Amino acid sequence: MASTGLWPLSALQRRWRQWWQARLQPSAHCTLRQRNLYIVPTRAGLVFGLTLLLLVASINFQLNLGYALTFLLAGSAIVSMHMTHATLRGLALHLGPLSPVFAGQPVSLEVRMDNPGRTRHGLALAVQEDEGEPQPVWFDAGAQAQTSVTLHWMAPGRGHWPAPLLRIETRFPFGLFRAWSLWRPDAQAWVYPAPEHPAPPLPPAAVQAGSPGTPALGPTDEHDGIRPWRRGDPLNRVVWKKVARTGELVSREAAGTARPPLLWLDWQQAGPGDAERRLSRLCAWVLAAQARQQPHGLRLPGREWPWNDSPTHRDTLLQALARW
Amino acid sequence: MVMLPRIREAQLPRDTRDTFFMLGLIAWTVAPHLARLPLGVGGLCLAVLVWRAVLAWRDAALPGRGPLLAVLLLAAGLTWREHHTLLGRDAGITLLVVLMALKTLELRARRDALVVFFLGFFLVLTQFLYSQSLLSAAAMLLSVWGWLTALTLAHMPAGRPPLREAAGTALRAALLGLPVMLALFLLFPRIPPLWSMPGDGARTGLSDHLRLGDVAELAQDDSVALRLRFEGPPLPLAQLYLRGPVLSRYDGQSWQAEPWPRRPPVPDHVTSFAPPPRAGLRYEMTLEPLRIAWLPLLDYATTPPQAEPPLTGLRPPDDDSLQWRLRSPLGERTRLTAVAAPGRPEGGVLSRWDRLQLTSLPPGLHPRTRAWARALAAQPGLLHADAQTLVQAVLRHLREDGYAYTLSPGPYEGDAIDEFWMDRKLGFCEHYASAFVVVMRSLGVPARIVTGYQGADPAPVDGYWVVRQSNAHAWAEYWQDGQGWLRADPTAAVAPDRVLRSSALRPAPGLVMGTLDSVSPGLRLQLRRWLETWDNRWNQWVLGYGRQQQFQLLRDWGWPEVDAAALARLLVLCLSGLGLAGAAWAWWDGRRQAPWPRLQRRLARRLARWGVVLAPADSPAALARRLAERHGQAVAPMVEALQALQRQRYAPGPAAATLSTWWRTFRAAERRCAPPRRP
Repeated sequence: MASTGLWPLSALQRRWRQWWQARLQPSAHCTLRQRNLYIVPTRAGLVFGLTLLLLVASINFQLNLGYALTFLLAGSAIVSMHMTHATLRGLALHLGPLSPVFAGQPVSLEVRMDNPGRTRHGLALAVQEDEGEPQPVWFDAGAQAQTSVTLHWMAPGRGHWPAPLLRIETRFPFGLFRAWSLWRPDAQAWVYPAPEHPAPPLPPAAVQAGSPGTPALGPTDEHDGIRPWRRGDPLNRVVWKKVARTGELVSREAAGTARPPLLWLDWQQAGPGDAERRLSRLCAWVLAAQARQQPHGLRLPGREWPWNDSPTHRDTLLQALARW
Repeated sequence: MVMLPRIREAQLPRDTRDTFFMLGLIAWTVAPHLARLPLGVGGLCLAVLVWRAVLAWRDAALPGRGPLLAVLLLAAGLTWREHHTLLGRDAGITLLVVLMALKTLELRARRDALVVFFLGFFLVLTQFLYSQSLLSAAAMLLSVWGWLTALTLAHMPAGRPPLREAAGTALRAALLGLPVMLALFLLFPRIPPLWSMPGDGARTGLSDHLRLGDVAELAQDDSVALRLRFEGPPLPLAQLYLRGPVLSRYDGQSWQAEPWPRRPPVPDHVTSFAPPPRAGLRYEMTLEPLRIAWLPLLDYATTPPQAEPPLTGLRPPDDDSLQWRLRSPLGERTRLTAVAAPGRPEGGVLSRWDRLQLTSLPPGLHPRTRAWARALAAQPGLLHADAQTLVQAVLRHLREDGYAYTLSPGPYEGDAIDEFWMDRKLGFCEHYASAFVVVMRSLGVPARIVTGYQGADPAPVDGYWVVRQSNAHAWAEYWQDGQGWLRADPTAAVAPDRVLRSSALRPAPGLVMGTLDSVSPGLRLQLRRWLETWDNRWNQWVLGYGRQQQFQLLRDWGWPEVDAAALARLLVLCLSGLGLAGAAWAWWDGRRQAPWPRLQRRLARRLARWGVVLAPADSPAALARRLAERHGQAVAPMVEALQALQRQRYAPGPAAATLSTWWRTFRAAERRCAPPRRP
């Protein structure tokens, strides 16, 4: 494959392919029809042209059965062209939701196929790469059933990537023709930075009260999250140790108002190294903070994402890291 | 016994099963060749196949290049020893078979599999070089089906598809391809051979020389040489002499034909279109390919036969021998119609030179036979007798002096003619004919040997008389002044059966045939007759289908101009028609909807009349609910039907009915309901 780069035609071929693939509009579903289904003879199909030799032999030896054999093969080959095309025709493709992954992990693409007709054999689904031969997944699609195939795709790096071009192909039944179609699913995959491993411990939590842009964490005092007992506070919120020491009844902040100190995960604190290293570390920290249920915010140069309690907070931060 | 392999088959891993299937297929395809292969090569191939099967069974690794190369070299050596060449037809096929067997030992990728498929198809074709009989066609058809199945199987990489499914797909492709095949077969213009192949010895038949022992081989050969159909009453078998090469040159070892006729060949248009003379016995003949460049025609043929395809390079008889020569051996099955003259044309005068040639014998040979002849001529009644009287005397001697007809006289050593004529007196036609001619020449009578076929099978098949290679015969002709050449068949004097009923002595039947005979004496003959009826039809309709038949087909279809270009035009027309049909099918197939969306679409149309709008995601139960809300009890049957559909579609287990059945019940239910009120 490496030598093909030297071949002037291959560059042309690549340009042609890129232009052609760029024309493909992303779509939510794809039904394979005459318009988007292509078919060409395979190399074996071209070699099959050597059956012409059978014809020459038949002529020369005046073998009527030789003619019959040659023509039987020719007829079957032509029919196999229709069969190859029909193996894909009418198949409808859908892409399942894409779960986010960390860089270095493959994205799972679950492709579901609706087969309105009879069983289809010898289908191959692959991610169409720019370079190199893709590793297809071979499968059969049952008659009037839905078949699900999972492909693994290595995104080029962190980021928010449009789903890759998918190629479905078949050479069934005789391998003389190759029918294929390309589909660009209208979906995006999140690839978060790979978390640093092993990651340094989380930076110390610092409550930076009054810093601009930081929303107040409610009525807090210096003793983070402890206030004088009020009527109505449940007994399990009373900080009995403090009561024993000072004699005054104090209780913890109620949920939503009293919490562990806010942790700012800061680009500046993410240590030396280039951007990717820092992003990796920040990613590891976000995960660690999440695991500890430590409120945390993210601060990247020029932007910050304060803590919020929603279940999507982690993904928001990781997406920010992915996209930065 | 039937169940056992089935269970086994289900248990085998897929790769092993596929390999076994392919090995079996290779064995089946190669089997007809095995008999013709050098014994060592055949054994080698079988051994390789078995080796591969064992490897597949044990799931063991395939051998490296070394052993493969060794086996290949061994096979090449054996081939060389047998054929003294690696090129040529037989040696080529031998190597092809070996390659096929060896390829299985390195069958790894799918590309390798494709190589095997192509080899397989070529082997099937090469089989036709030897036999195009109905049986071998059937066997090879099975073979082709097998190869297509294996090809399909190789393109079903997922799971473990049952063989039956792959075979079904292959069969479907072949059957759907049948129209294309038929159009091509019927209309593809038949072209004469592109280059002539060197004459090869694989075909049996007469030869242009006779050496004692040659015809014996033919006598064992039951294959059909030609078929005859008479227009009008058939000739009695005893008079059915088909004249082939006339051998008049004798060098003491073998009899040869005159080297080459001096006259120019008959123009093609004469052989194809000239109307034959009205008089004489008209007959139609289908000739199998011949090894000799002679046309065996019924005695006596004086006018060129009409042939399909026209015979090229046919030489008319250049002298009084009445033999029809071709420039090259007849390479293809040929149908011709000819006319046999009722009698020999009047002989002219034998030139002095010819007389000298035809009475000459190599000096010093056959001293005892020649002495016997001199003694015969010295007998009082024969002292100045004419040729005919001498012939009668010699034939009488043959009849009365203990000569016997046998196909296996044993080898003659020393002076074969002397030993045969004087001592052992055992032999068959070639012994009798050559000794007879030697005697006649010793007597000063010009004589020569004629070879050809005599007789046919006792009863016609489909109106055709079958002449076999075992009917090959040799007889003699002698010159009678004033009358010309006359036929004398010394074999008939000894074994009249051979000529009268034209039943050659046959070797004892084998064990199987013997048993068959003892069970029912007529059965074997009947069976053979029946098979040959079909073989003949096969020959006439399929194998004999050629240019003339194509033109006839066009004429029957009313095509205005009949020539090769018309064939090509019609072929293009047919193929474009088939192509359009294929495209139409693809278009229709692409628009086809799955049954469930189709049902939803129909249901939406029906329910719209009842004022219920169907959304794509609506379940039948939801529809039932909305219908019931809108119309209440009035539509109970429809509601029920919709609920049934809900159960049918979403309940676990196989569906109780098809969607189309349900649609019919739904329509019935709808008819039971009151018509929808128009809002």
